[in-house]
Amino acid sequence: MRRPMYLLLSVLVLASLILSACAPSTGAPAAPADGGATTTEGGPVVEEGQAATVVTAGELLPPIVAQPCEGEACFCKDKTVSVIVNTAGEKGPISGPFYEVRDEFEAATGAKLEVVEVPFAEHFPKLMTDMTTGTGQDDTSIAGAWWLGDLVGGDYIIPYDEYYNDTTGKYPKWEIEDVQSGPQDLLSYDGKKYMVANDHDGQVMYYRRDLLEDPAHQAAFKEKYGYDLKVPDTWQEFRDVAEYFDGKDLNGDGTPDDGLTMHLKVGGQGMFHFMSFAAPFVIGPDNPKLFWFDPETMAPLMDSPGHQKAMETLVDLIQFGPEAMMGWSLGEAWDHFLRGEAALTFTWGDLGALAQQEGSAVRGKTGSAPMPGTTEYYDVTAGEWKTVDGVNKVGNTTGGSWSGVISKFSDAPECTYYLLALMATKEKSIVYAYRGWDGVDPGRISHYLPPNGTNSIDGYVAAGWDAKDAEEYTNAYFGNFGAEQQFPYLRIPGTFEYWTALDIHLSEAATGQKTPEEALKATVDDFNQITDRLGRDLQDEIYKKSLDLQ
Amino acid sequence: MAQTASTANQTATNPTGRPPSKSRAKYFFLSPAIFWILIFTIFPLLYAVYTSFFSFRFGRFNQFVGLENYRRLFTDPNLHSALRVTIIFVVVTVTVQMVLGFGLALLLNREMRGRSVLRAIMILPLFATPVAIGYLSITLFYEANGPINSVLRVFGYGDVPWLSNPFWALVAIMIIDIWQWTPFVFLVSLAGLQGLPIDLFEAADVDGATGWQKFWSMTLPLMAPTLWLILMLRLIEAFKVFDIPASLTLGGPGRATEVYSLFTYRTALRFFDHGYASAQGLLLLVIVSIIIAVLYGRIRGIYEVER
Repeated sequence: MRRPMYLLLSVLVLASLILSACAPSTGAPAAPADGGATTTEGGPVVEEGQAATVVTAGELLPPIVAQPCEGEACFCKDKTVSVIVNTAGEKGPISGPFYEVRDEFEAATGAKLEVVEVPFAEHFPKLMTDMTTGTGQDDTSIAGAWWLGDLVGGDYIIPYDEYYNDTTGKYPKWEIEDVQSGPQDLLSYDGKKYMVANDHDGQVMYYRRDLLEDPAHQAAFKEKYGYDLKVPDTWQEFRDVAEYFDGKDLNGDGTPDDGLTMHLKVGGQGMFHFMSFAAPFVIGPDNPKLFWFDPETMAPLMDSPGHQKAMETLVDLIQFGPEAMMGWSLGEAWDHFLRGEAALTFTWGDLGALAQQEGSAVRGKTGSAPMPGTTEYYDVTAGEWKTVDGVNKVGNTTGGSWSGVISKFSDAPECTYYLLALMATKEKSIVYAYRGWDGVDPGRISHYLPPNGTNSIDGYVAAGWDAKDAEEYTNAYFGNFGAEQQFPYLRIPGTFEYWTALDIHLSEAATGQKTPEEALKATVDDFNQITDRLGRDLQDEIYKKSLDLQ
Repeated sequence: MAQTASTANQTATNPTGRPPSKSRAKYFFLSPAIFWILIFTIFPLLYAVYTSFFSFRFGRFNQFVGLENYRRLFTDPNLHSALRVTIIFVVVTVTVQMVLGFGLALLLNREMRGRSVLRAIMILPLFATPVAIGYLSITLFYEANGPINSVLRVFGYGDVPWLSNPFWALVAIMIIDIWQWTPFVFLVSLAGLQGLPIDLFEAADVDGATGWQKFWSMTLPLMAPTLWLILMLRLIEAFKVFDIPASLTLGGPGRATEVYSLFTYRTALRFFDHGYASAQGLLLLVIVSIIIAVLYGRIRGIYEVER
């Protein structure tokens, strides 16, 4: 009788010890040391504990651009600029560059720079609390582009056109025209400039170039599928490539790997996967803008046959990835690719840059290309499927494109703009784009290689890039942001709530709790409920304005 | 002694020579508690009731909507899902914690070697911060090479999809909650067991009662008030569970682990729908109040029977 009792006790004690003494084992993600969020709700932001863990940040630093001020030129003397940014630390995505620029900014303006890091999940609520109470605690927030619906709609931030157009040389100069049309559109709202360019988010496809160029794989693939193994151009080809490589050893460690990797955890930003993925199923030459709502009635379009086809196709693809990815956020999905354990993925620019860092198993093997397309799309305006000549591809700016906005309640708006403009200068932005760890993804002409842009391969190679990886990477982004058709970014009040609904129902479909059709129907029901609560007419008005449909 | 009484008498008289009104003195001493309750309990409660009659836009009061937020409580399938998940969570975790905690208390209430050390170790999980445990559990329950699946693999079991499968995700947060809160049941039960009169059990031994008879007819009835109290405390806490699902699964996959508090948190602080969130909070208050009323009635019943 006594032995089982001791056994039971031993198990409980062991459980206690495991929890207190456990260190992350190989392949398991480390929990954040500061208790910060490892998972996020919406927006391509990478936090401590969520970032890819297999690579380490490099030492490349951006150049000093601003000269120290003297006397009257120190127009921000005795002022403090408070920037609120997602928690990631001094070497973390998005927040890191603010620590780097602090001395330069303070010397050039006389101001003090205060960096306030908050966990991603608390950033928007804290900002909104600050705004709704008018306390003016934060001069600037490095905000997600989808927040503009709430921030502009609530009249909480100011446009910076006046500062940008200043010709006295008071502020550092940066060129908004340098930013490609896709991300550039996100900087303005209703004809006014609100976000100062920083990050440029958009999803592209990553593939293992070494695998696709392998003659043995090429022969086997052709025999199985009847066409040449190549960079997937359509989602059907993407599926074939994923299926072919799924279960094969892709990194030589003797264990089977996966055809693809995604992050589909609720709150793990899986809905962005769906947006980029579904775009060519709905958007096309005859329907360039309508993906979310019917602008006449604000009725959700999310259960259209095009959306359903996209959801079915995405759910079908899941079988070629690890089952665990249903519980993965960004970091885990990126790690999987960086370890060489997946042949394909589609995600933000961070991954391409992280692949070049120390610890990556896929440096020199990472190919990039714009997202695949479809051969037909469902035109919601006509209510019918339409076939296109060639492939229907749609560029996207899905993600946060984390950039600074200036609070209406700031008592130092000019100094705040100075800071944001300083970081937006070409010289700094180029270095930010070279590095993976700072979270700033490419999106400017000055980031691209000739003939698309003005940068040089030497710059990327000097920054530690593999030349071929850099060339494909920058070309992929140029193609994505410059695509004639762009995915219509949602920027209306309640955007995060709409996206959360999509995120949850996508997860339900991915884990088999609902069929794709049921998941989209539930999404539509949630969208309607949100719209009714926020005011259908007002939402409709703002929606039209955000898409320039008026 | 007479001197002390005299001093006390002097203290109790005011300058007019008359003793202060008993009722006024009572209010004076009660006032800190009254203010505390008014400011930190009654006012927030009334404000929540007030808020629940409004809709919000951009985080600000928008318009009076009457009972609309309460109507939504009955028609919102997402809320019903959160309530269903919470009830499953509460029933399973509290039942297991009660059985396991009381069982361990019985076990460690007897003479055995290393009893003190085991007791101390047993209550260690109580000192852990739930949200930290939640984040740590991301590593523990990691499916590919996480420690738990690695151990299971050693014993020949396949990988359990802890965080990617709706069923197992709920099991995972239940396991953590049970791990953390069983020691609470254990601790209070042990205190109760040690307060039981030994002479009764010695008399039962003399009468030749078996262990089971002593447990069923003496230990359990005598422990009943304590166990009902523990049950009540655990039910209240379990209904409010938030940290672990918020840090481990964020309510997913889908809504499989979206508990009530997490749903309300999202409604208020993610979607800024404060009116509806207030109505949800009041519904939870009603649910918990009913539990308290029922269990208090039960406890009072036991004492009245004993009297």
